[in-house]
Amino acid sequence: MNLFKKAMSRESTAGIIFTLPFTVGFLLFMIVPMGISLYYSFCKYDILSPPVFTGLENFRTMFADETFYKSIKVTFFFAFVSVPLRLIFALLVAMLLLKTTKMTGFYRAAYYLPSIIGGSVAVAILWKRMFATDGVINKLLQAVGIDCKFSWLGDTKTAIWVLIILAVWQFGSSMLIFLSSLKQIPMSLYEAANVDGANGISKFFKITLPLLTPTIFFNLVMQMINGFLAFTQSYIITQGKPMNSTLFYTVYMYQQSFEFYNTGYGAALAWVMLAIIGLITLLLFATKKFWVYEGGL
Amino acid sequence: MKKKLAVILAASTMAASLAACGGSGSSGGTEAAGTAGNKETTAQTGGGAPAQEAGGEGLLTVAWWGNQTRNERTQAALDKYSELNPGVSFDGQFSEWSDYWNKLATAAAGHSLPDVLQMDYAYLDQYVTNNLLVDLTPYIEDGTLNVDDCSQDIIGSGSVGGKVYSIPIGINAPAMVYNKTITAQAGVEIKDNMTLDEFVEVSKKIYQETGCKTNMAYGVSQEILQAMIRGYDGHVLFDNGKLGVDSAEEFIPFFKVYEEGVKEGWYIEPGVFAELTPGSIEQDPLVYGSSPETMSWVAFCWSNQFAAFNNAAPEGMELDLTTWPSKDPKLSNFLKPAQLFSVSVDSKDPVTGARLIDYWTNSLDCNQILLAERGVPISSKVAEELAPSLSESDQKVISFINEVVTPNSSQINPPYPNGSSEVSDLINKLEEKVCYGELTAEEAAEQLFTEGNKIMAEKAK
Amino acid sequence: MREKRRIRNVIYHVLVFSVGIIMIYPLIWMFMSSFKETKTIFQTAGNLIPNPFTIQNYINGLKGFAKVSFMTFFKNSLFISVVATVGTVISSAVVAYGFARFKFKGRNLLFAAMLLSMMLPAQVLMIPQYLWYQKLGWVGSYLPLIVPYFFAIQGFFVYLMTNFIDGIPRELDEAAKIDGCSYPQIFIRVILPLITPALVTGAIFSFMWRWDDFLSALLYVNKSALYPVSLALKLFCDPGSSSDYGAMFAMASLSILPSVLIFIFFQKYLVEGISTSGLKG
Repeated sequence: MNLFKKAMSRESTAGIIFTLPFTVGFLLFMIVPMGISLYYSFCKYDILSPPVFTGLENFRTMFADETFYKSIKVTFFFAFVSVPLRLIFALLVAMLLLKTTKMTGFYRAAYYLPSIIGGSVAVAILWKRMFATDGVINKLLQAVGIDCKFSWLGDTKTAIWVLIILAVWQFGSSMLIFLSSLKQIPMSLYEAANVDGANGISKFFKITLPLLTPTIFFNLVMQMINGFLAFTQSYIITQGKPMNSTLFYTVYMYQQSFEFYNTGYGAALAWVMLAIIGLITLLLFATKKFWVYEGGL
Repeated sequence: MKKKLAVILAASTMAASLAACGGSGSSGGTEAAGTAGNKETTAQTGGGAPAQEAGGEGLLTVAWWGNQTRNERTQAALDKYSELNPGVSFDGQFSEWSDYWNKLATAAAGHSLPDVLQMDYAYLDQYVTNNLLVDLTPYIEDGTLNVDDCSQDIIGSGSVGGKVYSIPIGINAPAMVYNKTITAQAGVEIKDNMTLDEFVEVSKKIYQETGCKTNMAYGVSQEILQAMIRGYDGHVLFDNGKLGVDSAEEFIPFFKVYEEGVKEGWYIEPGVFAELTPGSIEQDPLVYGSSPETMSWVAFCWSNQFAAFNNAAPEGMELDLTTWPSKDPKLSNFLKPAQLFSVSVDSKDPVTGARLIDYWTNSLDCNQILLAERGVPISSKVAEELAPSLSESDQKVISFINEVVTPNSSQINPPYPNGSSEVSDLINKLEEKVCYGELTAEEAAEQLFTEGNKIMAEKAK
Repeated sequence: MREKRRIRNVIYHVLVFSVGIIMIYPLIWMFMSSFKETKTIFQTAGNLIPNPFTIQNYINGLKGFAKVSFMTFFKNSLFISVVATVGTVISSAVVAYGFARFKFKGRNLLFAAMLLSMMLPAQVLMIPQYLWYQKLGWVGSYLPLIVPYFFAIQGFFVYLMTNFIDGIPRELDEAAKIDGCSYPQIFIRVILPLITPALVTGAIFSFMWRWDDFLSALLYVNKSALYPVSLALKLFCDPGSSSDYGAMFAMASLSILPSVLIFIFFQKYLVEGISTSGLKG
């Protein structure tokens, strides 16, 4: 116990102790499964029979696989469009809902609720109904005079947008994070700015935005990872159709692993994705020092 | 043989290592202990050695997929069995179709399969070649599992390499369910055993007369193609290591339906399907849609789905069923084991498993609870006795199978070998491309022939 | 001036309110659909108001499966979600404090491992994880659904909280240290109260994600009486035969209630926020 106290009082060892739960958890629950799946990526494996080591065979297959490139393209498009849109909406709405009125609780719930129902079957059915040829969206367009009898989900160019809109609609979690970090900005800073006679816009750019950059960065990293690993939207609504135009990478991986039982190949796909996301995250971290405010308050 | 041996070795070493860790593994609650128990017996039964002496005691896990009705009835039938055989109890484990196969595959990897499990024809070969199912032949021979009242063909369909690995719970047949109200309106007569050309003619006529379009199981049509290919001297689409056709020619008529249909307007546009839930009977274009443009006069399915279609049909829509069209219906038609049941090698009490399947097959009590929800019972005796207690649509299905299909059919294709699911996906992708006008029927046929053969060869390695 | 402010207020409310309604329209639709006759749900998808109005779906749904009432699934989910959430929030906060305030050997490596572990899709770890938990003897119990969360294995929460702690002026720590506080005391007395918004946000997310999680439940829960809601909801649909969409909608409507309640209960802590205004930067 004494030893523990002593360790706790030194900065270098205290840090190790505080992060110990994660270290143990990582070693106990993550490292072995991750290692096994890495091993599978070098194997011919169909779940039911034992894996057979085939070296780089899976990766060779991958680089000759047209669908692999197609799904990469779709996924990049989805991530790079949906993530920024989602973040902008989240921030905008968070700013709007910062104001405390009697209705605030209701408003926040309303904007957050779509995230709660997540990827259920009900959402899938509903989303398809909305964008159907005789659905609400076309009816609205007809109401404003555009004669639209378009099949949004049936067209290879528009189907992906239906999924993007779904992803953007569920911006609640980023919004909540923005909201809670907006709350962390000391009022005193704004009061001081008021004394200086600053208007709303300059206060936003001079105080709010800079102090929010760490949170923006956090959301950006998390949502990027999420965006690249997006699965549900495509899986429950389009299954990659039509013509693979909405085939997310993870959905392709899933098909290979659990529908065609090319599970080794699926694992290889997953590790390539890890490398891609890792690289992008690394790039994001490299830009951090140029725009993220690190000074604390 | 070599491969088999390797599997057995791997299975037993795995079991041994797991058994070893079972000792050191702490706590984990009573259920964990239960599964650990299962694992240890794997070492004994994993090599395919049959029967342990049945204690007639204990808890068996029975797994299946299905909806609320099926879950309810199956559990009730299991409870009834426990009532009749004190000391035996069951854990019913049910999941949704695709979840079921993920769970089962994962459990297979860990050698902790449920004792008795529902099998599907499409997966049977895979599970058998990997030595995961118990050979039931000895139990049939010693009378534990009585199949005297069942047709040899049907029992044969649950077999691989002459050994019985599963017993169907019901008999099914490919069925073409159609909207009688529409066909009457269009003034066409639907006769059994149509040819594909006749089918196309009828579709065109119906479109002209009523505006109602056609759907040939868009997106899930591999079974139809299989049946059509059987029409060519009984060719087997999914052969071992290759596609069992002579040339790409045999695929052309199939793709032609889509190509011409979409071009000429009588086939539902592919975009419509994007707005529906794939595989959902409630949203099948036969029964669901707001205008004739998005609706079909016909659905290609299995005979046991007829009741579900009737449930889903809007008021005033009368449905009937007939055979799938083919060049040579007698060769194409077949009886299919619907929903097989197998005993897994991980079971520590395969005898009780076999007894349970016997009860399922031969007990009228049991079948009066299940009410042919999985298809017509395979025992002709049970089927006959059960008939009066079935609904009108179920009775219609029974007479369809007995009078239309049985006298005019051939043995089902052997269980699909590895690679069939990937080729099925390819078929659907090509069909999609044809509908979107990216490929002609001839090009699609050619691609299916080359790429399909490549996949099958790759998988057989 | 006052007039102008009132007009601005009205505009604000009209705008936020109407967009809010659009946002939750789909939920309202689902809720309303759950009162339609299950057969007519698709045919009448364009109409919001059920006609006729029926509660049969709720009766069917609550009946559950094979004698296990749907309420049992709710209880199971509640148990798993609450326990795992408590574990997640506590362990993540502790680890986050370690990351945010201390420089130690291997810190960056550990942080990278944390980020990396988020970059593999859950589906690819499914089988390896199963094999591993089987070795631990945990298959067939709730342990794989709960225990790992007490070890802060979800990097998202650790990173989230690390970020918040970074936002707290270090001077506060220093002051507490001078007052004789040890690190654990600083953590409990200074840091924890100040990151309440992050803890609350984390609790809301964690609860919701555990509630929705069905992959691990599918693999590790074997007894139907132990199924959570996420798993049970899918049982209403069977692609091979009839599906009861009405009951599914009814139970799906009920199943979002706990997450909504948790949100409403906790979000007021976000309204009040934590007054750091007394601190000077």
